Amino acid sequence: MSNLIQNEMMKLLAKKRLLIIGVIVAVLIILFTYAQYKQAEEQREKLGTDDWRTAVQQQIIDIQNRLSSSRMLDEWREQLQVTVKQQQYYLDHNINPSEPGAATFTRMFIENASSLFIPLLVMIVASDLVSSESSQGTIKLLLTRPVLRWKILMSKYITLLLSISIIVAMTGVLAYALSGVVFGYHGWNAPIITGFTVEAGNVDTSGVRLISQWQLLLMDFGLVWYIAVVVGTLAFMLSVLIRSTPAGMGIMLAALISGAILNNMVSSWESAKYFFMVNLQLTNYLSGVAPPIEGMTLLSSVLILFVWWLAALIVSFIVFIRKDVY
Amino acid sequence: MSRWRVRIVTVFSALLGLLWIGCLSWAIVDYYHGEASGVEDLSAQPIEKRPDEFIVVALGDSLTRGTGDETGKGYVGTVTEELEKKFDHPITVQNLGIKGLVSAQLAEQVQEREVKRQLQRADAILVTIGGNDLFQKGETLLNLDSTKVSKLQKNYLVHLDAILSTIRQNNSSAQLFMLGLYNPFIELDENGELNAIVRQWNNETAEVLAKYEDMVFVPTFDLFQLSVNEYLYSDKFHPNSAGYRLMAERIAPLIEWEAKDDE
Repeated sequence: MSNLIQNEMMKLLAKKRLLIIGVIVAVLIILFTYAQYKQAEEQREKLGTDDWRTAVQQQIIDIQNRLSSSRMLDEWREQLQVTVKQQQYYLDHNINPSEPGAATFTRMFIENASSLFIPLLVMIVASDLVSSESSQGTIKLLLTRPVLRWKILMSKYITLLLSISIIVAMTGVLAYALSGVVFGYHGWNAPIITGFTVEAGNVDTSGVRLISQWQLLLMDFGLVWYIAVVVGTLAFMLSVLIRSTPAGMGIMLAALISGAILNNMVSSWESAKYFFMVNLQLTNYLSGVAPPIEGMTLLSSVLILFVWWLAALIVSFIVFIRKDVY
Repeated sequence: MSRWRVRIVTVFSALLGLLWIGCLSWAIVDYYHGEASGVEDLSAQPIEKRPDEFIVVALGDSLTRGTGDETGKGYVGTVTEELEKKFDHPITVQNLGIKGLVSAQLAEQVQEREVKRQLQRADAILVTIGGNDLFQKGETLLNLDSTKVSKLQKNYLVHLDAILSTIRQNNSSAQLFMLGLYNPFIELDENGELNAIVRQWNNETAEVLAKYEDMVFVPTFDLFQLSVNEYLYSDKFHPNSAGYRLMAERIAPLIEWEAKDDE
């Protein structure tokens, strides 16, 4: 087994996939760093001060003005009200919700990347792990060796898990290293408020507590890794089912993008919460953003994703073991 | 690709995987079992202000926000520009105006900790409030009822007094300028009934302001009296750019920078 995994790792490294992903991540992070820097600069100019309290106060006022407009969907209104209450809580307790620094940038980046960007990166590895062997015909060479089929698939799957772990870590390290050039390498110990619970548009602050940013960062990374594993496993399943890599990628892409769109409009369609793509914003539970559908919780989302993961894994193995290869 | 390099990458990524699994479990356990410790207040907020800074804080309703001004500046923006010209120095503006605000809400807003801190820093404070108290989005006009109006006015005056005293408690020296109401419905008001109400409202407002030092009532009724349509936005309630400019031109000359004059 160990040799099989080594073999798969060797193939992966030879294809330089991880390197390509690293470059993509680096380019995006540089773009976002620049955008963020510009935004901060403009804000400073507009407000005439770099006092964060003034900036947060102004954000609250801006949202309150938007709230006062009568033409607004109720769900958006609720979401904005929740934001106002949280911002106000930060302000009242004199805690900067986005302490400048590379650690904050990394957290923001990973939180925003969790539902679309990281899954896309994972797909680059996952979607052709099996199907490329089918399309190139090398699968026959692999299967004629005296090894059980499930072991071959398992070695491929473990390779996928390993590369997901690398991708998540790489994203974090690159985000910190590159944004630090502009924002400075600090912010690990910045206090962050967590434990907000949102119910029916109300923010419950009874469970709040203060943690350090590095703690939240690690938790975020754990959740992002989990999301990446679930999406990667689904892509892996498609790669077993469909011989054509582009077709498999297309299906995954459609699912992920539809998830991003659905998140904005499913609040009245309750059974949509069983779709995996609606549950990908796990980090929002930690930061206290209201879930897209009332009644969703961290645990329910994790469990739903777990069921999808398990089903995909079972299907992959059954199909791969029974498949006729010609 | 040498064998040992592959092995190193494999072992390293396996370790990372274990780390992420640990973080994931930590996140879930912490989310459900983390001790709610609450958040203690971290120290009083310092009032930092550079001596060469001139800070204007604007409080109030849609007029402060600048609703109706195509350029988006509102009277606050224009006053700022005028002052920058006059002082030949950049000034800092905090516009805390919220559309649709009534006096009761403003009385709450000035109690907020951060708003108080802003007020403490202010050199000049601009206020517009009361328009929504009186007109209630045009409802008052539809059924003019003097007992109802006098009740609205009584509540408003109580809130206004509370607002002004909070401001003075936090800042004993800043000049405060409060804009009076104009009558946007002057053309519909044939027998002058609403005019009388607005006039009285303004008089009472000025009376309350007079109780405090360095608080100035700035009338706007006359600005809109003769050619109201020229200065109103298409909603026939808020001023347009020209209307805001009129208001700003009235206030800007009144604001002085004493510290700078001393130099």
